[in-house]
Amino acid sequence: MEETSDHPNPTTDTPGTTPEPDLETMRSSKPGLKRLLITTTVLFSFLSGLPFLWKSVEIYRSQLPFHDIDSLSDQVKSAPLRFPCTFHAVFVGFGSNDPDQLRSEIQDGVNQLIGESSQCGSCNVSISVTVQSPDELCSETFPSTCSYRCGVIKRDSFGRGLDDAVDESLDDVFSGCSGGIGKMYSVVVVNKENGDEVKAVVGKRRHAWIVGSGLEERFGEVVGRVSEVFVKVFMNGGREEGDSIRGEFMPVGSDGRLVLSFSLLNSNPRDWIYDWDFQRIDEALLAPVTKALAPIANISVESQVLYHTPKSSFSSWDEKLQSYIFRTSDLPFFVNSNEWHLDTSAGASGRSKILQFVVYIPSGKECPLHLQLPNEEISKTNGFISPMWGGVIVWNPRSCDKDSESPSTNTISPQDLEKIVEVFLGQFRQLFGFKSEATYTSELGSYKILPSERGFTEWELDVLSRKHTCFNLRSCATTLGSLSRLVQSLPRMIIKDEIGEQVKYSLKAAKLAQSNASLGGYSSSASSSREARSLAENAFFHPSIMSVSYFSYEHCFAVYSPFFLPVAGHVVLAALREWRRYKQEKAKYLTWLTRKKAA
Amino acid sequence: MKNLTLVVMLLCYSFASSSGDSTIHTNNWAVLVCTSRFWFNYRHMANTLSLYRTVKRLGIPDERIILMLADDMACNSRNQYPAQVFNNENHQINLYGDNVEVDYRGYEVTVENFLRVLTGRHENAVPRSKRLLSDEGSHILLYMTGHGGDEFLKFQDAEELQSHDLADAVKQMKEKRRFKELLIMVDTCQAATLFNQLQSPGVLAIGSSLKGENSYSHHLDSDIGVSVVDRFTYYTLAFFERLNIYDNASLNSLFRSYDPRQLMSTAYYRTDLYQPHLSEVPVTNFFGSVMETIHTDSAYHAFSSRISKSKIKSDTPFNQLSEQDVKEDLQNTNNQNDELKTEKQKCPYSEMRADLHEKLKKIENVDTMVNLSIAVMILVVMVSSSLL
Repeated sequence: MEETSDHPNPTTDTPGTTPEPDLETMRSSKPGLKRLLITTTVLFSFLSGLPFLWKSVEIYRSQLPFHDIDSLSDQVKSAPLRFPCTFHAVFVGFGSNDPDQLRSEIQDGVNQLIGESSQCGSCNVSISVTVQSPDELCSETFPSTCSYRCGVIKRDSFGRGLDDAVDESLDDVFSGCSGGIGKMYSVVVVNKENGDEVKAVVGKRRHAWIVGSGLEERFGEVVGRVSEVFVKVFMNGGREEGDSIRGEFMPVGSDGRLVLSFSLLNSNPRDWIYDWDFQRIDEALLAPVTKALAPIANISVESQVLYHTPKSSFSSWDEKLQSYIFRTSDLPFFVNSNEWHLDTSAGASGRSKILQFVVYIPSGKECPLHLQLPNEEISKTNGFISPMWGGVIVWNPRSCDKDSESPSTNTISPQDLEKIVEVFLGQFRQLFGFKSEATYTSELGSYKILPSERGFTEWELDVLSRKHTCFNLRSCATTLGSLSRLVQSLPRMIIKDEIGEQVKYSLKAAKLAQSNASLGGYSSSASSSREARSLAENAFFHPSIMSVSYFSYEHCFAVYSPFFLPVAGHVVLAALREWRRYKQEKAKYLTWLTRKKAA
Repeated sequence: MKNLTLVVMLLCYSFASSSGDSTIHTNNWAVLVCTSRFWFNYRHMANTLSLYRTVKRLGIPDERIILMLADDMACNSRNQYPAQVFNNENHQINLYGDNVEVDYRGYEVTVENFLRVLTGRHENAVPRSKRLLSDEGSHILLYMTGHGGDEFLKFQDAEELQSHDLADAVKQMKEKRRFKELLIMVDTCQAATLFNQLQSPGVLAIGSSLKGENSYSHHLDSDIGVSVVDRFTYYTLAFFERLNIYDNASLNSLFRSYDPRQLMSTAYYRTDLYQPHLSEVPVTNFFGSVMETIHTDSAYHAFSSRISKSKIKSDTPFNQLSEQDVKEDLQNTNNQNDELKTEKQKCPYSEMRADLHEKLKKIENVDTMVNLSIAVMILVVMVSSSLL
């Protein structure tokens, strides 16, 4: 149709004067633009569609605060979290001591015990000292952190009676102490005129006392013990390894939940059947414990009774002890995971932690059953734990005689249950890394430690709060760090708003935990750090982050090219060809023009 | 900025490795996967169930085994022995006996679900028993069997798991500290190629055959009519049948037990990512579960010090526990084990349609909108035709 431009009309040729133009190399008319225009408009319409296509295949990525994540992990790594702790020492009945000098001595002792390592979750120590002379005159260091009323603690009458009562009275004495920021721990040293040997007790709250006569003469030792109480007991909770955060002694699920699953196993119900009144145990004995641990974990309790649950390894009869013996070296083979169907926890969500506590009642064939330690002694608790799993208690019935053919059904008596719960508490504390002995022995002497009915004393809960805050923040920082690395390495992965929000709130909670920690809010920082960790885990484990479900560039190309490539190729080629033709024809025309001019 | 992130990454890694060393071994997990469908792949299901039986016998409890079976041979209509699966023509062991808890079955066995199990990215509704809830002290055995090729493993005849996918999932597991040690055992053709991309420390890999080699079945059961076990798995089982949970045979002895002439392929193991010396690692590290136990030295005498309060009364209302109750309890516990987990899923297409329907309902004057759009369409047609 538009072929006219290709074959110049012979009638328009200039006649005569100019030589006949060579049709191969030149032409006399201007080449037409119509075909070029049409092909280029089609091409341009394609090109103008490209941004829309680009926009439509774009992937939604919620903006993650990468910078904040980096700075959080930097902070957590470079500056270990420290909590403010105030240590207050009261020396009663010391005549000739300067409180400032005492303070510097205690400070030295504390520094020496803490050592070089600046562990995470430790204390930022501030120390204050009050000295009460025998004639009830007081002098204290400045600034005083505590409004200790002089003469409240009587030198001679102190420490008489039950330790629990003394502990309560000390709490009254120091009730006016706010301690500035953070928690205040106090040690009272009473130098008696006449008395017996030195006695050191650590109470249920945050107080300890050392009572004895002639303490002023053994002054250096007293200062050593005071700083030992501060560091080893109040700060590290009497644990051996205070410096490392070990994950296996943090048995809390990453969503901050913990399920305690109690099972009573009747290994052979043909011999006897035992039941328990778990409702009462839960209400009377376990509820205080779960309440006390509320800042650290959201604890729920469940229970079940199982039958026909033999253990997986055999015991041997010991004639001397008149009982069946199971060696502790065989304990790894005690739990019979194929017959003990413990994990029934349908209520626990995916990332909660379940701790199993098993009370095992042996069958008539191996009753009584005792655990034997490597040193041939019989275990006092008859129980063992497995880190991150839970604990087992072997409970023997009162009498091992089967009277009749039919199995007797009994209920474990409340006294026995109380004993079982005590062992359970010992195991529970062990799983959290605490010891349960009533005395704590160190180089300088031993301390009596008063047990709390709540399973953990207040100073132990403080230690737990500090450690868990630190552990949670670290875990949160590493999780978010992993997430940000993952997200940055996959530029075509969809990131939902939900993930962005979870990261944002997690960072917020982590900030809150840090600021609460520096203000000394132990339980609030523990609970917000738990939240931070849980949110970070939620973001990391979000089901939408799956490497098979995102759209890589290759994939995108493979999907869209069948739609556009066949047509696009033709359009581009046509445009190119037209452009080339136009250039050629224009060159021909130009040569003709020059020829004409020359002629 | 880039430098900063690099430094942070390095710090993270050093932190991760330093804390990873100190962790003690807490528990054992097993992920056993059979990836192929159809009756003639009977042997793959038998392989997986045999391994399931072995690790269970050696102490890994059901709740820590994720069993994925892509097809149900036991209930296949061609199966002469309904509800039974055998791995030997002598039919001595019924692998599909009591207490087989299949976590993912049939069409649930997909690459996506497999990777979700490994990485832990599940929907909220997925129950605990379908999740790999391992921690940083866990040892995991990952056994896979099916049809493979150069750097891939076929799932369900429809999709494939590539070596990159596997390595990526393992890397993410390592990053989130979901395992301490991982043993990947693969019985497919060209199994060794599946490990090519692995780079995470703590991973040990065994494959039944090298690149270019096939993995053959061991023998045909003429009663059932198909091959019932693969050679590599058969000799692995032969090794484990001699063992019990107390044994401490080393991984090295397992690896040395493979004879290329019997396998008709070369077993390959990749150990460069695994620190401990193989002759010192007992096989129960992965194929069994030996609990880490600590004796409880003392109880916490929280109550014995106080005078017993009247909160717990000494009357015993439970004495009259009837026989019936006991039986009911027993049944309950049994039922819980036999329950197989299924998960309802909504069809995305119908959901989308419902959404669209709702949206349409919200628009009030639908008719005018339709008319308008027709007018616009006519205009567009006119303009375009006039241009041409």
